[in-house]
Amino acid sequence: MRMLNLTVNGRVHDVPVDDNELLLDVLRTKVGCTSVREGCGVGACGACTVLVDGRSVSSCLALAVRHDGAEIVTADGLPGDDAVVEAFVECGAMQCGYCIPGFVLMTHELLAENPQPDAEQIAAHLEGNICRCGTYPEICAAVTSAAARGARL
Amino acid sequence: MPVLHQPRDLDEACTLLAELDDPMVYGGGTAIQILLKQGLLFAENLVDLSFVPGLTAIEATATGIRVGAMTPLRRMETDAQVAGVVPLAAATYGHVANPRVRNTASVGGNIAHGDYRLDPPTALLALDAQVELRSAHGQRRVPVRDFFVDFQLTAVEHGELITAIEIPAQPAGSASSYVKLSSLGENDWPSASAAALLVTEAGRRTLRLGIGALAPIPQFVSVDVSGHDLETTVEAAKAAADPLIDPIPDVRGSVTYKRRLGLVAVEDAVRRAWKDQDDD
Repeated sequence: MRMLNLTVNGRVHDVPVDDNELLLDVLRTKVGCTSVREGCGVGACGACTVLVDGRSVSSCLALAVRHDGAEIVTADGLPGDDAVVEAFVECGAMQCGYCIPGFVLMTHELLAENPQPDAEQIAAHLEGNICRCGTYPEICAAVTSAAARGARL
Repeated sequence: MPVLHQPRDLDEACTLLAELDDPMVYGGGTAIQILLKQGLLFAENLVDLSFVPGLTAIEATATGIRVGAMTPLRRMETDAQVAGVVPLAAATYGHVANPRVRNTASVGGNIAHGDYRLDPPTALLALDAQVELRSAHGQRRVPVRDFFVDFQLTAVEHGELITAIEIPAQPAGSASSYVKLSSLGENDWPSASAAALLVTEAGRRTLRLGIGALAPIPQFVSVDVSGHDLETTVEAAKAAADPLIDPIPDVRGSVTYKRRLGLVAVEDAVRRAWKDQDDD
């Protein structure tokens, strides 16, 4: 066990972690961010996406101890009026919602790099996120809508 | 579970690799974590490079660029210098897995993984990259064309780690393309892949082909296509690639399927490179 210093959604946390613990488990069980979800466990579905220093990371493949001092954003830390979340809600871009935190964070990363993505660029950036309910058309519409709103973290 | 070591500089990393029992370098960690979860990785000690400084730079050299081993794959796709100096590499790295994996996986770890289906080796073979290796005994360089030795086996010796990849600049007037064909899904490993680089130098035109997923290791062949038109270049490319194709049958396709798809990948890559050249 060693102490890890994480800034999660703007709050500083000192958490004891084992060397082999995954960031996914630390965030869920020790920090309480339950919007970070395990799906495939191999980095292919995107349900466990978090932003680490602004970059999307599959927390299911990330060793927690490599992220000492990191600044992490999870979907449950986004403000209530987050433009991407509002766009997803207004576009009905979800059914069960399990995958949506990952899609929302990938959208934030995309819009930070490319504020006005076209349909092809949206699909390319979200290619590693899977929605089992199949709401892809609504999700793509939501990203376009979020871009139009000038969404910023 | 293996023991995790986090050296603070290269010398300490090399010492650990020399002295520990059954060590493995932990780069980006994406492949290692998957293999650990699947119970397929048996290293006793992991040497994590994430706190070793100096391994994430992309620098211009006299002949091209030098990329630190811990550079995330995604930087190869987004960095303006990479796109300008070695556009084939930028395009190929952009095809690996998905953006999140590319944010984490490292340039050095990617080739050290040694999988025959990896995307980047196809471009690195065509571009004649060099792999810089370091151990407690010193440094050496291995041409990427000699790096992949056998199925899942690379030229990295016990006690060595990859510190950088040096990629010569794409010659002026060259044209290139990478084609990845996956049979199970957009994001899956390829069943066949090909990188094509058309180079015109001193009046001769050469087609350099890197081929992935079609044999136990990535393959390379160079073909003189001086005086050829598009159709005869395509035929020459397929004829040169054919004897290198030795597919491993699996859930992504039979030998016959992959052999056929391999020639489609080669043809598509050549045609797109040719078009790239016409567009310039």
